[in-house]
Amino acid sequence: MSSKINHHHQNDKTNGQIFPQPCPHLADFHARNGTKPFRAIQDCLHIKPPGGRAAIRRDSSEVPRCGVCGDSSCPRLYACMACAAVSCHVPPHSSHVAIHATKTSSACSHEIAVDVDRAELFCCACRDQVYDRDFDAAVVLAHTTSIIQSSKPENLRKRRRIDYRPWSPDLRERSLMVNNASPIDSMSSSNGDLPRGLRGLNNLGNTCFMNSVLQALFHTPPLRNYFLSDRHNRYYCQSKNGVRLCLACDLDTMFSAIFCGDRMPYSPAKFLYSWWRHASNLASYEQQDAHEFFISMLDGIHEKVEKDQHKPRSQGNGDCCIAHRVFSGILRSDVMCMACGFTSTTFDPCVDFSLDLEPNQGSSMKTSSTKTNHSCNCEADGMNSSQNCGISTLMGCLDRFTRPERLGSDQKFFCQQCQVRQESLKQMSIRKLPLVSCFHIKRFEHSSVRKMSRKVDRYLQFPLSLDMAPYLSSSILRSRFGNRFFPFDGDESNTLNEPSSEFELFAVVTHTGKLDAGHYVTYLRLSNKWYKCDDAWITEVNENTVRAAQGYMMFYVQKMLYYKASEKQGTS
Amino acid sequence: MSAKRSSINRPPTPDVDRDRENQEPTLQEIINIKMIESGEKERLKELLRERLIECGWRDEMKSLCRKKGRNNVTVDDLVHVITPKGRASVPDPVKAELLQRIRSFLASTAT
Repeated sequence: MSSKINHHHQNDKTNGQIFPQPCPHLADFHARNGTKPFRAIQDCLHIKPPGGRAAIRRDSSEVPRCGVCGDSSCPRLYACMACAAVSCHVPPHSSHVAIHATKTSSACSHEIAVDVDRAELFCCACRDQVYDRDFDAAVVLAHTTSIIQSSKPENLRKRRRIDYRPWSPDLRERSLMVNNASPIDSMSSSNGDLPRGLRGLNNLGNTCFMNSVLQALFHTPPLRNYFLSDRHNRYYCQSKNGVRLCLACDLDTMFSAIFCGDRMPYSPAKFLYSWWRHASNLASYEQQDAHEFFISMLDGIHEKVEKDQHKPRSQGNGDCCIAHRVFSGILRSDVMCMACGFTSTTFDPCVDFSLDLEPNQGSSMKTSSTKTNHSCNCEADGMNSSQNCGISTLMGCLDRFTRPERLGSDQKFFCQQCQVRQESLKQMSIRKLPLVSCFHIKRFEHSSVRKMSRKVDRYLQFPLSLDMAPYLSSSILRSRFGNRFFPFDGDESNTLNEPSSEFELFAVVTHTGKLDAGHYVTYLRLSNKWYKCDDAWITEVNENTVRAAQGYMMFYVQKMLYYKASEKQGTS
Repeated sequence: MSAKRSSINRPPTPDVDRDRENQEPTLQEIINIKMIESGEKERLKELLRERLIECGWRDEMKSLCRKKGRNNVTVDDLVHVITPKGRASVPDPVKAELLQRIRSFLASTAT
């Protein structure tokens, strides 16, 4: 059996990826030959078919075979980096590549080889795979010669990150606060066991769609902090602009009402009226879609701010208004021509993620052999196995969202290199994560062909904590090229600047009932307790109740927020 | 197989005890070479990859590998442990489809 050499105990972390230290043989190879052999290998790197895997071939039609036994069907054939001899490796039966490694002399080392079908480095002495940045860079370069690297979106300029500085008021500030504010009576005594900020919303006529989204927004931390710290002052705004329609002012009014401590249910009538004036096509007493309302409301907040301050349209960096500052992210879309490999990349801002539910989960496993089902351990192996067992999960939906999708022959894309329409492969990934991610599950299907709509009731499992790292553009690109160690997509080499991709669930909007006769309810998570907000009724519930609910919109907030240096003082 | 690079050493001379050179290539070898040359082998590999991902086989193998741990594990160890389990758990429909494809390839190239 191969010996286990513990040389990988010291790893350094770059871009969140652990980079193993080279084994002594690889380090020795580097010292002797520099990076020349890795760059020279670029001539032998063939990507077949376009967008496929990298393979090592001396010429593109070569059939590699072992120099010792002539076997060409061996699954692992290695080419020596020193002399290009190809040998097979079939442990524990025979390993001609290990025998070849013994030819190492003081002049030249034959210990480092490369897998001809996978373009991965192997150390014959350690009998293990090894990794080298320069080699991976050469592989990625071979992949991307036909890809014109599109520039990063210009508006994603990185603002300098600054450290948190604690603050306490000086005498003048203290007197200001005392004179202009009144203390809030202590929580534990009067208001029972409900925390501050929980207040029922009266249903004004099929307005549960609005109430449910509002409850989630009232407890969206960055949004709540913005309004409660008076960053949008409704008195100042109205006196400046006259009594004009401003959804942000109405929202400010509601925040004051919700957090004032009064427990009587609040009627958001003024806000409803303002919203009707903004979205006049939705103004009726009919049930509306909660997600549609959410988008419309964010749009309303943005529009008014834009008109006032002439800020640019949202480009995903959130500089235009608080709604986009909190919710907007940037999606990356890569379309690759199947004929020549040319990839076209576009960046688009988004305020939420609309995900399809996987179709008939579990049907593919039904046809597979029983052996696979027995070896599938649903509990221990996490979310991937649960997919095999037939439960839809949020991560499964995100996998689908970022999976490469073949655009059919009726959707041919114009390839700039080929200059004709070709069949293509499209893949989405997240370039920039928003502060708050809203996941909208497409449960309402409208078929214009059949002129009917239906609701998909299938249960979706969602986690309390979510790591979005595998769906980032850097991760997607990395795996596209075979998990190479390479700075993708403008990664910064300093890990301290790496923003966190971990999110925590804080609100779930659920829908029960039929398409045209249903009810929206929101579950809020405050101090790790769950509260059900059903219009005017707020009750504490068990976490399992929430887990079992039919999620329609799930709100996750970034676990760690960072301070960025402000461009101007006292911005609103 | 000429060595195009002068900065590296020439390939070693073939071992003398290679008597395979004198024998006719076996049927297996001929089929393998034909499949590689026509590109069919690569296509079949891609098809197999797709099917094995779809049915969850790859995720299962991944979790089996993870169970082995991260430290003190070599590629050879993993291959040795995974190979029998992997071979046994390939779903029958996938096997059938691949066999069918190979059969039709052989039929089409029969001379």
